[in-house]
Amino acid sequence: MSKTAASSFSRLDETDIQGFVLRGYTFPVARYLFLEITDADKAQRLIGSLIDQITTGEHWDQGKPDSTLNIAFTYKGLTKLDLPDATLLSFPVEFFQGMKARAGILCDTGKNASEHWDPIWHEERAHVWLGVYAQSFEILLSRCATLQQAIDSSGGARVIGAQDAGAIVFNGKPSSKEHFGYTDGFGNPDFLGVDRDTQPGQGKLMPDGTWAPLATGELLLGYADEAGELPVAPVPHILANNGTFMVYRKLHQNVKTFRDYLEEKSKIYPGGKEKLAAKFIGRWRDGTPIELSPDRDDHNLARDKQRNVAFTYGGDLDGKRCPVGAHIRRTNPRDAFGFNGGLINRRRITRRGLPYGTYVPEGEPVTDDAEHGIIFMALNASLFRQFEFVQQQWIEYGNDAHQGNDKDMLIGNHGGRGRYMIQGTDDALNPPFMCGGLPNFVELRGGDYFFVPSITALRLIAAGAVDPR
Amino acid sequence: MANQSGSVYGLTVLSPVLDDPEAEVSHNVAIRKYLSTLPRDESSPFSKVSSTHMARLVVMEDVVFVGHPAHEEHLKSQYLVFESNFDGDLDTYLTRMAQEIPDAVESVWSHCVGYPGLKNVRAFVAYIKRCQLTTTFYFADVNNKTVQQTLRALQIQSGLARFIELNQGKPPSEIQSAFAEFWNSVETASPLAPGAKGVGELPCFAAGRAAGSEGGD
Repeated sequence: MSKTAASSFSRLDETDIQGFVLRGYTFPVARYLFLEITDADKAQRLIGSLIDQITTGEHWDQGKPDSTLNIAFTYKGLTKLDLPDATLLSFPVEFFQGMKARAGILCDTGKNASEHWDPIWHEERAHVWLGVYAQSFEILLSRCATLQQAIDSSGGARVIGAQDAGAIVFNGKPSSKEHFGYTDGFGNPDFLGVDRDTQPGQGKLMPDGTWAPLATGELLLGYADEAGELPVAPVPHILANNGTFMVYRKLHQNVKTFRDYLEEKSKIYPGGKEKLAAKFIGRWRDGTPIELSPDRDDHNLARDKQRNVAFTYGGDLDGKRCPVGAHIRRTNPRDAFGFNGGLINRRRITRRGLPYGTYVPEGEPVTDDAEHGIIFMALNASLFRQFEFVQQQWIEYGNDAHQGNDKDMLIGNHGGRGRYMIQGTDDALNPPFMCGGLPNFVELRGGDYFFVPSITALRLIAAGAVDPR
Repeated sequence: MANQSGSVYGLTVLSPVLDDPEAEVSHNVAIRKYLSTLPRDESSPFSKVSSTHMARLVVMEDVVFVGHPAHEEHLKSQYLVFESNFDGDLDTYLTRMAQEIPDAVESVWSHCVGYPGLKNVRAFVAYIKRCQLTTTFYFADVNNKTVQQTLRALQIQSGLARFIELNQGKPPSEIQSAFAEFWNSVETASPLAPGAKGVGELPCFAAGRAAGSEGGD
């Protein structure tokens, strides 16, 4: 393990990196536009005209803007932009194939198979992702109208789909809740050089128990990663540097199924419904880590940035507090697999998710079928080594977590046969508990892999000047 | 012994492949052709030798020259590589191979130098031992349990999980009688064959009895 290469610089060029990569915007509303490229030259000019509007990682010293714009491309999109073959052939194979073709690895089968995806994903026509975030829905509409006009008049691309998303309004305010009622969005890792409001518990665990940023190359292309190597990246390096890869997955949530299951099981779970909900994922629904507060939620703890991601599982290998297979423990195992957490530092992803659809408060009539879920977006330098590994090995298979074939309780593709064991203690209110017959609480409705270029790379693409030599 | 980890034995065999320019089909190609027909699941011949945890057969052609500054080198022969992790001692295992999957053994090793055939099982055992590559340490990807113990443990684990799911929260007396039935079911259940489907399906969970649980196996 090398810490030399990565620590030789202190600051990234934030003006060259798309802002979406470096920070979560925490805007209340967003729309993701999907474009089909119909003419390479005209689409290049369209991109050129958008570059100055792309939100970079620069600090918002003048205050938060009204809205933001970011851009990313599928492999098919890059071919439609006439990138040179030598460049196209140099991309990693999983990006070349796209997410649909990776179904076997991702376990996107059964109810998650591509025949159940939204129509825009049926053909490979979603070439460009435009992410627009705004302070209000009105601003969002006006920004998108302007964009639509630019796209239409370019003659190089057309909008084939739009996905709205937004923070769930909870008690009258935009929140970080998702439709099952959990507070989401904890635990994104820190990276060297990324200037961010850091919290203990993010990044990687050091031998002395403190936390340090991960190598920049786990997030961005062109920098050393945790193995002291450069991530696999396309040529020329100037196209790759300061860019990254994004996973986009529309995850439909079967809200009725989830609430019914929780209700049904909590009838015989002595710890009560909220504790059972907490045991499912590893956090109480207000966000309190169950590892730190196993008996009750604690709003102060949930909000305390010094504590709400600062925990390990080494003292709880039996899962007496946080079950060994709980969602947050499987997907970010910290030190749970031993070696002081060293096994997981090359498997971390940066999540940029937002819910979509209208939230139905607990106790009100709810269905599975309404349009509600989460737009899961994750950024990583290697789709194969990071996102795909987490999905394949930690979500759809349980061996690393000593859970045999058991999948992730919350988002596993169970097909009605899933099983989740909650470990317990002698305490009558914390007994071992078996959850069987797990259905799919979450179903995949589409998505793909995207390349998120730097501003410099966008200029090269727009100028038709990508030169692999 | 270094080739043994608890009750599990790690066997590596390198058998030189016959080199016969006159042969209609060269021997390495013949081995590969046969290997390509072998099923890789529970119908593999090695599942008949029921003490086998895993086995692999590969033809090693040569060492690959990776360019300067490496030296270009070549093996004197092509080799058949046979790897197996199994329960018990080597003599017993090789004897079982000779007796239980003679066709597979014959189809592979008849293309190898010095193979004595299977008429004399002791000669075959001695031959394989002559080709054995011993080690001082090997990675045993199985715990110190036999194949049958492992399958049995999976059967019980899966069954117990189902038992808990169906009975948790019931009054102790009901749990006790249900457990008695469950345990009787476990004790009388027939042993599982490798690759058996429905590891958790014990008679006590037969159709009708599991009513009330949603969507189970």
